Amino acid sequence: MTSPDMVICRCEEVGLGKLLQTAAAHGCSARELKLRTRAGMGTCGGRSCRSLILAMLEESASQAPGHDMPLGCQPPVRPVSFSMLGGTE
Amino acid sequence: MDRRIQHHPVLGAIAPGKTLTFQYNGKPYTALHGDTVAAALLAHGVRQLRVHEESGSPRGFYCNIGHCYECRVTINNRPGVRACLTLVEADMEVFSGERLPAPLKHPKAKDSSEGRDSQLLQKGLREG
Repeated sequence: MTSPDMVICRCEEVGLGKLLQTAAAHGCSARELKLRTRAGMGTCGGRSCRSLILAMLEESASQAPGHDMPLGCQPPVRPVSFSMLGGTE
Repeated sequence: MDRRIQHHPVLGAIAPGKTLTFQYNGKPYTALHGDTVAAALLAHGVRQLRVHEESGSPRGFYCNIGHCYECRVTINNRPGVRACLTLVEADMEVFSGERLPAPLKHPKAKDSSEGRDSQLLQKGLREG
């Protein structure tokens, strides 16, 4: 299960190879990796891939998920339509 | 309907339920009362519910519990509805998600995952 084609972030279509490559090239923190590759920035808000990205970083760069630059969840946590926020259809 | 479990090893024979008809991409399908859109389509062997908006690669439902938003479809003109959480209603009109144009994507982007659109754009730029 280490094929570089393996999709980690489904929403933004980012594979394991690209993540590993970016992490190695830039010595990324989890947040920097997210900003460089867009992994975890898709519609699901990282719910599918956040734990995979953190685990991958922990394994490849022995970087334990810390509290200083976490892969945070920004509001709105789920995709919300404007009509739901008070507009009209 | 042939992909459904008709005889469950523990529950026994499944009683036939009330059927509904709905449309997916203009084609009629039948569903059982209480089916989600994703389940009803899977029972007919339809696994692709949309394509990735940028690259056009096929997508179906993934988590099936509403987390991953991989199964979003357009239902009765409402876009972005999750097929895995939405129950089928009679005469529902479901459309799959389609690839969207990416006019702002740099045509020479190194990791560009699409080919056709950027080629068209480059052609357009050359021909003025």
